[in-house]
Amino acid sequence: MNLKETLKILCEPAGVAGSENAASEAACELLSEHIPNAEIDNFGTVAGSMKFDGNLPLLLLDAHIDEIGMIVKFIDDKGFLKVGRAGGIDRRALPASQVTIWSKKPIKGIVCTLPPHVIKDTVKAIKEDEIAIDCGFTKEELDKLVSLGDPVTIDAQFTELQNDRITARALDDRAGVCAILYALYLLKGKKLKYNLAVTFSSQEELGKRGAGIAAYSVNPDLAIAVDVSFGDYPGAKENSTWKLGNGVMIGSAPSLDRGLFEDVTCIAKEKNITHQIEVMSGKTSTDADAVSITRNGVKCALLSIPLRNMHTPAETLQLSDIEATGQLIAEFILR
Amino acid sequence: MERITNFLRDLCLLNAVSGDELDIRKYIVNALKDASCEISFDNLGNLIVRDKNKKKPKNKIMICAHMDEVGFVVRGITSDGFISLSAVGGISDSVVFGRHICFKSGDSEIYGVIGGKPIHHLDGDEKDKQPKLSGIYADIGANSKNDAEKFISLGDFAYFRSEFVKFGDNYIKGKALDDRLGCAVMLDMILSELDIDMHFVFTVQEEIGARGAGVAAYAVKPDFALVLEATTACDISGVEDENQVCKIGNGTVVPFMDKSTVYDKQLYKLAFETAAENNLKCQTKTQIAGGNDSGTIHKTAGGIRTICLAAPCRYLHSPSCVIKEDDLFEMRILAEKMAYKIAEL
Repeated sequence: MNLKETLKILCEPAGVAGSENAASEAACELLSEHIPNAEIDNFGTVAGSMKFDGNLPLLLLDAHIDEIGMIVKFIDDKGFLKVGRAGGIDRRALPASQVTIWSKKPIKGIVCTLPPHVIKDTVKAIKEDEIAIDCGFTKEELDKLVSLGDPVTIDAQFTELQNDRITARALDDRAGVCAILYALYLLKGKKLKYNLAVTFSSQEELGKRGAGIAAYSVNPDLAIAVDVSFGDYPGAKENSTWKLGNGVMIGSAPSLDRGLFEDVTCIAKEKNITHQIEVMSGKTSTDADAVSITRNGVKCALLSIPLRNMHTPAETLQLSDIEATGQLIAEFILR
Repeated sequence: MERITNFLRDLCLLNAVSGDELDIRKYIVNALKDASCEISFDNLGNLIVRDKNKKKPKNKIMICAHMDEVGFVVRGITSDGFISLSAVGGISDSVVFGRHICFKSGDSEIYGVIGGKPIHHLDGDEKDKQPKLSGIYADIGANSKNDAEKFISLGDFAYFRSEFVKFGDNYIKGKALDDRLGCAVMLDMILSELDIDMHFVFTVQEEIGARGAGVAAYAVKPDFALVLEATTACDISGVEDENQVCKIGNGTVVPFMDKSTVYDKQLYKLAFETAAENNLKCQTKTQIAGGNDSGTIHKTAGGIRTICLAAPCRYLHSPSCVIKEDDLFEMRILAEKMAYKIAEL
């Protein structure tokens, strides 16, 4: 399996939180190569399972399929689209961005930015209610082309940087989806110690909604959530970021299962999988928070891939960290 | 007219900040290889095109547009391999965070992004502040200073990566429309084999203070100069009429005054008359803002009478400059009509 190609296939389609269909379809197709019963549920989550033996515990592997984006909420008289944020998109990266409005027919637009003679205070970041998109059409034309509620993504070409690093939009969390697919690839033809369920959940960026809904149906005995976390940057506080290339981040948090954390860490050490420990002090801000309190409660582990510039069109990661994440999941399942 | 848009597409996709205009120069020379004109260069890299075999007009005219664009220069590399940048020309801090860029290092292109502290790590007031370019970094994927130095050197230039896109109702989006659109109009004029001898000057270093144009004007010593440019249109959501400066789709912009020049009053009037005679839309700027090559040209060699024709352009100096194609086409026609009138003034 070519990690880079798979990641590219996953990142290209849009999957703004609440409008995941295109991304879910691409991910579902890739998942069904490993899990033939994979399908998309009523909420846009991709789910599939493989049960080998009724006595084996059911392990859920989850990553979220949605991405941050915007949503059209109003068309003003001059023909500019006013939008709301779907998830915590970084407003500071919006002015002068090229975007796609996913209407019946996709439309290109540019996020307006004010020239220096009009900006009173250049120090301020654009406010949510100031965000406007220029589509080069009048209001009358836009009324025919765009529907309120249409999702919007920022255009950013999937690009290779040095050292096998990738920059693209939506790496949060298509990288996690890619790591799970890689684990399934590594497990092909092997005898597993768990029955497996996989969910690529919707609406994580709006509060981990899809994962909670899906985990109820799956009813797993234990779960591993895979997400991205903070990559290093100059001037970061100590212990708040993790280096790209230093491997899979194993999450430790009061909301995660301590025993699973220890098992996973132990396997990483034994199998020489490059890893780093991410300590959180409460919840994790990932699907693990929702999955762990489903039904009677589910023991959860969290694996993360370090990512720079999160929630911008310049999200950046290193492929070897996805690889390490996939390897660790596979080794856990074989154990 | 299709030819202009094709030139514009090619020119916008080339990378040329002030002082690094070589790729544009090469493109122009190649585009003119079959034309019956002579091409010369000066010490700064200004490119001057004329055809002495054509009829000499009563007045000597210089038509110019600048080849350079705004961009970035590498100022330093951290021990972790992050790259600090300075802007070449006026780039607002609003449009740099989260951008995809490309470095030109020798003959190769190295891709990168500009980023820094993620939104999740911002405290209190920081959330509403736009990061300054001086406090954020470019990232090419290097993992140390040594690693970065394999690809990048201090003083290398970097550019916005931005597709050339036609969108909406005949709108065009691209980087560097300022002033590749002027270059595209001049190329089209030269290839149209106008029957009088004019000096077409493709200038350098406009974005760092209109430095090339003065030198070229000194060499040419024209009676009149016609500057072709892109100018700020701010006819966007939430901006009051008086602050809009000019409007996209309302035709060529002829300024009476900006920060660098008080334009020749007779030529100003002539532009509007010529536009009216030819059914071309024409507007002026409603703010005294900005400046261009006119600023140095009109003060050169004892004074040169100068006028500017500009296409209204939204989001100037950003990776996504936007113009309307019709404005460009009208500007092309008006430039030619004006040149003929000025020639016999």
